[in-house]
Amino acid sequence: MAKWGMVIDLDKCTGCQACTTACTMENNRLPGENWQDVLFYHEGTYPNVKLMWFPRPCMHCENASCVSVCPTKATYKDPDGGFVLMDYNKCIGCKYCQVACPYGVRFYVDERAIVQPDIRGVFPSDTDRVWDPPYKGPHDDPARGIGIQPHGVVSKCTFCYHKVSKAPKGVPDLDEDIPALKEYVPACVRVCPPKARFFGDLDQPNSRVNRLIADNRGVRLKDHTGNKPQVYYLSGGATASVPSLRSSRASGQA
Amino acid sequence: MSVTTKQVGIMLLALTGLLVTGWLVFDSLSTHGHAAFNTDNLGIFWGFPIVIYDYFLLTSTGLAMVATMAILFGGDDFRPIIRRAVWLALAGLLGGVAVLMLELGHPLRALWAIPFSFAFSSPLYWKVMAVSFYVLSLLILLARMLKPDWSMADLRANAVVTLVLALSVTAIAGVVYGSQSFRPFWASGDIPVAFIFESLLGGLAFIIFFSYLAYAFNPAAVPASVKRLFDDRLTGLLALAIFIHLLFVVARMSSGLYGNVEGLQVWRHVATSPLFLAEVFLGLLLPLVLLTYPGTRIRPWAQIIAALLVMNALLIARYEYIIGGQLVPLFKGAWAPDLLSYMPSPTEWLLLLIAVFLSNFVNAFGEVTLKLGREGSAHP
Amino acid sequence: MELLKTALSRRRFLKASSAAGALGAVGFGSGALTRLREAEAQVHTTTFETRITKNICHQCPARCGIDVYTTNGRVHAIYGTTEHPISNGKLCPKGPLGTYILYDPDRFKGPMKRTNPNKGRNEDPGFVPISWDEALDTVAERLNHLRDQGESHRFTLAYGRGWGASCAGLQGTFGALYGSPNVAIGHSSMCSDGSIISKKALDGVGGYNAYDYANANMLLMFGVGFLEAFRPYNNNMQVWGYIRGVKVPKTRITAVDIHLNTTLAGSDRALLIKPGTDGALALAIAHVILTEGLWERPFVGDFHDGVNRFKSGERVDPELFEEKWVKGLIDWWNLELKDRTPAWAAEVTSLYVRDILATAREFGSTRPSIALFERGAHAHSNGVLNGMAIHALNALVGSLYAKGGLMSQMGPSYGPMPVDAKDFMDDYAQNGPWKTQPRIDLKGHKDGYLLANNMLQELGPNSLAGHPYKLDTIMFYQTNPIWTAPNGQVWEEALKELFVIDTSPFPGETAMFADLILPDHTYLERLQDAPTYPFQGWPLTQLRVPAIPPLYDTKYFGDTLIEIGKRIKGPMSDYYKALGDTENVIRHLAKGFEADPGDNGVKDFESWKEKGVWYKKPYVYRYEDGEFRKWDGEDYGILMTDDEVKAEIFKTSSGKFELRSGWLEENADWIAEKTGRTRDTLMIPHWEEPKHPGGGDLYMVTPKVAMHAEGRGANIPVAIATLQPVLGGRSTAYIEINPRTARERGIANGARVRLRSELGSIEGYCKYFEGCRPDTIVFPMEHGHWAMGRWAKGRLPEHCGEITVNQSDRITGQCSYYTTKVSIEAV
Repeated sequence: MAKWGMVIDLDKCTGCQACTTACTMENNRLPGENWQDVLFYHEGTYPNVKLMWFPRPCMHCENASCVSVCPTKATYKDPDGGFVLMDYNKCIGCKYCQVACPYGVRFYVDERAIVQPDIRGVFPSDTDRVWDPPYKGPHDDPARGIGIQPHGVVSKCTFCYHKVSKAPKGVPDLDEDIPALKEYVPACVRVCPPKARFFGDLDQPNSRVNRLIADNRGVRLKDHTGNKPQVYYLSGGATASVPSLRSSRASGQA
Repeated sequence: MSVTTKQVGIMLLALTGLLVTGWLVFDSLSTHGHAAFNTDNLGIFWGFPIVIYDYFLLTSTGLAMVATMAILFGGDDFRPIIRRAVWLALAGLLGGVAVLMLELGHPLRALWAIPFSFAFSSPLYWKVMAVSFYVLSLLILLARMLKPDWSMADLRANAVVTLVLALSVTAIAGVVYGSQSFRPFWASGDIPVAFIFESLLGGLAFIIFFSYLAYAFNPAAVPASVKRLFDDRLTGLLALAIFIHLLFVVARMSSGLYGNVEGLQVWRHVATSPLFLAEVFLGLLLPLVLLTYPGTRIRPWAQIIAALLVMNALLIARYEYIIGGQLVPLFKGAWAPDLLSYMPSPTEWLLLLIAVFLSNFVNAFGEVTLKLGREGSAHP
Repeated sequence: MELLKTALSRRRFLKASSAAGALGAVGFGSGALTRLREAEAQVHTTTFETRITKNICHQCPARCGIDVYTTNGRVHAIYGTTEHPISNGKLCPKGPLGTYILYDPDRFKGPMKRTNPNKGRNEDPGFVPISWDEALDTVAERLNHLRDQGESHRFTLAYGRGWGASCAGLQGTFGALYGSPNVAIGHSSMCSDGSIISKKALDGVGGYNAYDYANANMLLMFGVGFLEAFRPYNNNMQVWGYIRGVKVPKTRITAVDIHLNTTLAGSDRALLIKPGTDGALALAIAHVILTEGLWERPFVGDFHDGVNRFKSGERVDPELFEEKWVKGLIDWWNLELKDRTPAWAAEVTSLYVRDILATAREFGSTRPSIALFERGAHAHSNGVLNGMAIHALNALVGSLYAKGGLMSQMGPSYGPMPVDAKDFMDDYAQNGPWKTQPRIDLKGHKDGYLLANNMLQELGPNSLAGHPYKLDTIMFYQTNPIWTAPNGQVWEEALKELFVIDTSPFPGETAMFADLILPDHTYLERLQDAPTYPFQGWPLTQLRVPAIPPLYDTKYFGDTLIEIGKRIKGPMSDYYKALGDTENVIRHLAKGFEADPGDNGVKDFESWKEKGVWYKKPYVYRYEDGEFRKWDGEDYGILMTDDEVKAEIFKTSSGKFELRSGWLEENADWIAEKTGRTRDTLMIPHWEEPKHPGGGDLYMVTPKVAMHAEGRGANIPVAIATLQPVLGGRSTAYIEINPRTARERGIANGARVRLRSELGSIEGYCKYFEGCRPDTIVFPMEHGHWAMGRWAKGRLPEHCGEITVNQSDRITGQCSYYTTKVSIEAV
């Protein structure tokens, strides 16, 4: 009964977006509809300007507001692993979970394509799925939100459930640098070139993720909402940074 | 031309409109799916269709409140509007639900998935349950009321149940938004109360407007009992409801403008938008004047215009509220604007027409076939 | 219900096609209404077998080893190879894009010929499919005809991203056997020859450096884009995570660039410098290092009596200083450095004196330290001088070949080719009239670029002008000069006159001018070798193994070349028959590993294919405490003699790091004539004001960004959506403009703007960015394609190359992409 969690070291993050594109590849994401995104902010006046960035997956909250508002229990907290998952066969596409998620990490599948022409039209599906690209992954589990989505549902990050759930039982950390474990590591963690991401069991006191959170002042995003994320951020102030709530990008906006 | 003929005309007009818009919407949705809406994954998750749905739903509960409270507390004077209000509540609900069905990703699945989910933590679950029972109670009320010799006293128990359910639906609809604490534009404990007053305001405006419509806006055709009820009671109540609603608007706007929490900056945008100004000055203050100024208060045209303005103001209010709460993008990075922008797409506007035509068709059908103006008796 | 389903889908199909045509928009059928038929989504596949093949990434030159995941014949995932020394299991953001490239719906599906004789942007080439035999015969016929006429020099093969011995490596031999000085002409002058050649002027090596970042304590980067584009990007970031997040002490980083990017944001010190003035900053740093006595005495040398006589503005008597591994330090000081004070540099660069001083002191006192630079610093008319000034800093702090310093890259232990080309040279090849012809790009010619390596950007203009002659037939491999060359409009005119053969698997601007399309495999379908780009010095070479058979009727470029060779008259065809095919070539290359197996046990073709990479650590050379040493098997125990250093380390005439460049001095007459530099100083790193053509008032800089997937990113929707996260991202790339600059010109944030130089104008959307210098406009070189595919087409901003003046550094031949000045106005 692991409780999987992620630690993102903002001091090491280079803002390259490899997590984003790896997630896009692994989870057949539509262009720009990033389950895992890196958000950039800047403030200040030339020549003293601050550029910051912030990688943001789904937080897989312990007390997820998206789960509590779902009127059909289509989105649920998996008791074995702590994943917040979607059951596409229960989702009615009411989008209340999107409205209720403070982190903006849920995506309705039938919105207008960000990059035109719509790639869904280039690779249409002959079943009820939204599209059918030749490069889609082999994993397909609609009850857990894995695989190409059917129409009319909301999708979200699965913490790469299809990988993590197959990990050997009792492993404290899924470290991509250990060859025997790399196939069980979420895509965004596995590719991260500066190794800014760590994935492990928050229920095991000796896991590296717990040590990092304790030793390096791990913080959770928007903790005041009571969602209790299972993603923690480490920040010493350099490189990437947690943005303030009210972004002050006044100079950048008309 | 008799009033009934004109009602048949309205019914056919609404049916034609419904068929035309229905075809256009079918055309658009079967080609583009929900991409025909201007919603997105940046932050505008609930767009105009949800505004329309909630508007019609709350109008329905407002009408139900007016009808049931009239039964319970209003006395004989209110008899001329009760059947009409209940039928109109049903018609409005149908219009709203039709739009919701076109908005949902899986409308049919929703019919079974929600009730059997037992998702007690979700306001939407309770809202759907409340709406279901509300519809049921409306139907029962209506069935008993359709007897030619219906009497108010017989319906007291039904009225209590319907009133409680109407209040519940409205309050829960408020909780759906008011509970979203990280969206301060929405979140407030008094939102369910505000919703109830808005609902009531809508119910009053709608019943005035549609009563006149029932007589084809011909003051001469309006029975004296109806006219007396309007002049003596309803215009005053409507004015009071406008005033209370204004208090809510001003209160929320003031704390919104002075508050510094992320999300409240929307108020600066809203409070200066022409739509909002139209809502307050044309939609609320002008009717207030029309309904309180002795020279216009009892003029049918003034009552019709006031009701119509209020009906529009409430649609704007619903729009500003639902969209406004989503305008601040959540963690979207430098490319996202400080505030998102949203305009209903043509298809979304068509959904409003569908709701309007459908409700009007049902209402006119009732007017033609059910003698909605039948006043019944106060005592058995 | 079935009937409804059929009717609906048919209707959706019709509607979708017409909508897509009319609106160019959505156009897929997914009616909300269709969901009125409720059906649960069925699990598609339950059991499958996944195969992993080794390959290397194609999205930049770095050559990261990748594991390609194929299930049921479909490639669906790409991850870094754990056992690959560059990728170490990681990927940069471009790595996962490979599947989209493989299944790009706009790919060429087989060989084609042109049917429309008119060429132009708006001319449909009218390509029709032909057989490979017809295609290859057509090429061979032309080449044989040219050779018969004694005009074989009028055939050119131009290439961009060559990979290894089995593709680009075959080209030179082809040219020698066929008889053309123009086979092959590489794109290095449009890449980063400015760095290669300015380093060559000093250390005589002439190559990109390998770097030992992990052991460095200070990095000083000039126009490098370390966290955006500098190869090997993936490994750079791995190193960054280590030196900034793990290593004790944390490596200090100062980054110099013209706008705030992630590299600058992540550094300890970000210097927003005026474009083209990096050399001035480097000179001032050198000045401070000398005046404050911070130089590395065991490498540089010292005053006989140990008293520092470097004082601002004062000359030094050369007799008093004894140089160790450098030559010409005192000349450099007396002729240039003594006046290059931080105050002077502050004027030139627009930086603060305090920042220049702090940078110089930190660089001079934190060892090991590395000064690195690329195009940002040297893609200007004064590029060679900027590059020399920066590279010289490495000598002052003794970083060359030191632990935590920089070195040069070694090649792999390849076996010989199956046969020796020398045995197949006929008389024409050895003594034909082509021997007396200059290269079409006038590289190595006194009328052109005497000292350059390549001048691809001159090829089109020269052929068009008939100077030195007009070409007849041109073949392209991995390059698209109509788009990549500055002022590519000239190339359009040039290619109208020529028979053009393109080998790209994808449509592109150059391909639209082609007469023949001989499409290559995409990289996941190829068997291809690729020795490493400069990495950590020790030899490394890798192999692409096809993940799936080719999807279409395509042919690996190496095999296309061999097949053409087989069709050329004379002994040349025998050579190519003896080669057979590229797999045979690669098998012979791999034979070299038998005698020299790699650290990972790779000893032949089969084990290479299985592991994907052969490498052999450690690096053989090491500078330590004033001496150069070689690896003896256990340690750097072999002391190198001066002659050995001259032969293997500093390949200059003096065998030293020449701050006074002997190579430039040898060519002083030509340099003085062509550049107007004075003979006294043209051989030392010195300051020269850059020339900015274009006629505008703002510098236009168009960097490569992290999501620039080489050659194809502009047509990959995922890359488009994430291209410019700092400002844009999603679907629009913006032109960065300082808000002050914009307001002065009445340009609103987000407005559509027009950029104009003397060559013309382009349009795009701008966004205010305080991290952009007020005198500079910045946007990624990515969009503005008109023939690359459905997603690239018409995407703004338009192409910067159309307003970039074709100006090159006369010494290095470096195309000065970042030096044109433009004006901007609201549209």
